Amino acid sequence: MHPGIPYLVRDKLLNSLIERHALFVRFFYMLREKGVPVTPTSFLRLQKALALGLIASVDDFYTAARSILVKSERYFDTYDQVFAHHFKGATLEEITDVELTDIAKALLEEWLKRPKEMAEALGLDEKKLAQYTPEELIRYFLDRLKEQKEAHHGGNRWIGTGGTSPVGHSGRHPGGMRVGGASRNKSAIKVAMERRYRDYSQEGPLTELQMGEALKRLRRMIPHGPRDVVNVDKTIVETMRNGGEISIVFDRRLADRLKVILMIDNGGWSMDPYIEIVQTLFNYARSQFKDLKIYYFHNTVYSRVWLDPQRHLRPEAVEEFSRRDPDTRLIIVGDAAMAPSELRWANGSLYVGEPEGRSSEDRLKFLARTFRHAVWLNPQAEASWNYTWTIEAIGKIFPMFELTLDGLDKAVQRLMKRH
Amino acid sequence: MNPVGEPYRFQGASQYVLDDELAKIVNVSIALEMPLLLKGEPGTGKTMLAHAIAESLAMPLIALNVKSSMKLLDALYQYDTLTRLNDSRFGDSKREVSNIEEYIRMGKIGQAFVSDCRTVLLIDEIDKADTDFQDDMLDVLDQMQFDIMEIDKTITARNRPVIIITSNAKKDLSDPFLGRCNFHHIAFPDPEMMRMILNVHFPDLSEGLAKACLHAFYRLREFRGIEKKPATRELINWVRALRADPDFDLKAVENGEIPYLGVLFKKSVDMNLAIQQAGRPRK
Repeated sequence: MHPGIPYLVRDKLLNSLIERHALFVRFFYMLREKGVPVTPTSFLRLQKALALGLIASVDDFYTAARSILVKSERYFDTYDQVFAHHFKGATLEEITDVELTDIAKALLEEWLKRPKEMAEALGLDEKKLAQYTPEELIRYFLDRLKEQKEAHHGGNRWIGTGGTSPVGHSGRHPGGMRVGGASRNKSAIKVAMERRYRDYSQEGPLTELQMGEALKRLRRMIPHGPRDVVNVDKTIVETMRNGGEISIVFDRRLADRLKVILMIDNGGWSMDPYIEIVQTLFNYARSQFKDLKIYYFHNTVYSRVWLDPQRHLRPEAVEEFSRRDPDTRLIIVGDAAMAPSELRWANGSLYVGEPEGRSSEDRLKFLARTFRHAVWLNPQAEASWNYTWTIEAIGKIFPMFELTLDGLDKAVQRLMKRH
Repeated sequence: MNPVGEPYRFQGASQYVLDDELAKIVNVSIALEMPLLLKGEPGTGKTMLAHAIAESLAMPLIALNVKSSMKLLDALYQYDTLTRLNDSRFGDSKREVSNIEEYIRMGKIGQAFVSDCRTVLLIDEIDKADTDFQDDMLDVLDQMQFDIMEIDKTITARNRPVIIITSNAKKDLSDPFLGRCNFHHIAFPDPEMMRMILNVHFPDLSEGLAKACLHAFYRLREFRGIEKKPATRELINWVRALRADPDFDLKAVENGEIPYLGVLFKKSVDMNLAIQQAGRPRK
């Protein structure tokens, strides 16, 4: 604290600093509460940015805090809402030591899960940290908070003081920064209230491009084609064996030779809402996989699947699949929703005149046995799966994943797993 | 850490229209010594930004274009065994064959580390690489050093580069990766911003043409079912095409006609969809 400042003023300043700190901690918690995955490490990093005097106004805080705390545009909208709510005429309530301890405790609990990051954030080394008891850690954290308050004496680098920091606002700096006239000249709160990122908060439909990203790893590289890649290790060995006379060894280059079978449920109104997404998957699969067979079925698989989408002209008996390469990846796409009888009964097929003999459940189990690497992709939201009995039943036969980016990603992991 | 009144402040560059928000984020990232991860749909100028930062800070730019088959080691250094083998056999080079170091070539990250001056390191399209590559790379960038096994030597960065990482992916990168970066998502420019971008590229563009083009452009982006929407680059090329056409009729564009659709839509499926929808009269 500056020696020249009278006590009364000093205490007032200190209090306002504590208040502001509490304001940030609450902001942090509110973000978490609203589902933005902010980490304590990033929170400390924000503190560091404040300590460095990089943030001189609410505007700066809005932008800097977002870039430091929020790591996906999906949460930008939530951030905007929390920010607008939190800093709009923000009331600076006093915060007691007890509350501060509670906050510190909660933060530390989080940190204990990630000791390395925590050590880094606190500027301690991991070994030293391991020797601390939780109480000592909390003490350490509180001390650090105090230090930080002291480091900001004068408070003129904190938010809301009108930006007297020497670093100033980028953009309006007298240094002649070229900003292209894009500055908004609106307060950050107003900007936040505009909710510019509303459109990003929901996951849009999957595009082919995104499918590509998810399915990219679904491949199996094996040597194929002309021998035109130098094998350095073998070349060295051969050259030595050759008494120093260079003997270059070529290998075939690696090419993707993964076999994929895609079975699509293209019948019935229940799949109608998903036609577009399945079509996208289909397009991607066709352009990406060299060895791809696509079959169609309605609701579930009986004795046959079809090569033609009309399921009429080119049937193929399911038993025949036992002759396929068992390493083939089988991907079944369907909502798995149907009447229980369709799955269970030996003659459950919807179609009259199709003597079956075995239930669809048996057929599916047969496919699952034949292909070790098989998944079922369900375009219905996972949250609704519990309500349909057949989804649950099929989920026991095939690992089932949602037809979304995350689901695809998991499905691909599953398909590439060695087992 | 730079002292207060840090020497490096990003101020925008001649060919890049920088918005205020982005300038702040770049500055905070430089000061915190954090890599800045930029996301956004293609054509929002992610890569351009790195060039602009380099120009503005007068630092050389080193760009690592990530490919799916890339291994981290390729980005750090390569040991050129074949040349060494060749030299040892024919011995007609000036290199000392017994000195392996002469056969170590720095990759892009390595170059940024050994550079005499501070550099801007652009890691472009990180989403193409697998997660291991991404996490390992951030380890290297965290520690600012890596080992060259062949000569048992540790390369430590002489100057911490300003690191810009771009990603096109809609999908989020791994949590540990995100935890170590500052993040910004570049939204698609609004018409006002786009007008400024056009001005930078065509200083003498007439108001009428700009207005008509922008109007048509944003209408095109609304078309349904388009896989690859036209972005800034397509707009600039389109304006260029229109200006190059001696028979170009501004009235036609104002009335909703769109010549040179092929400049705007690169995929035939998109092109067909666009033709269908462009034909419809506006309400």
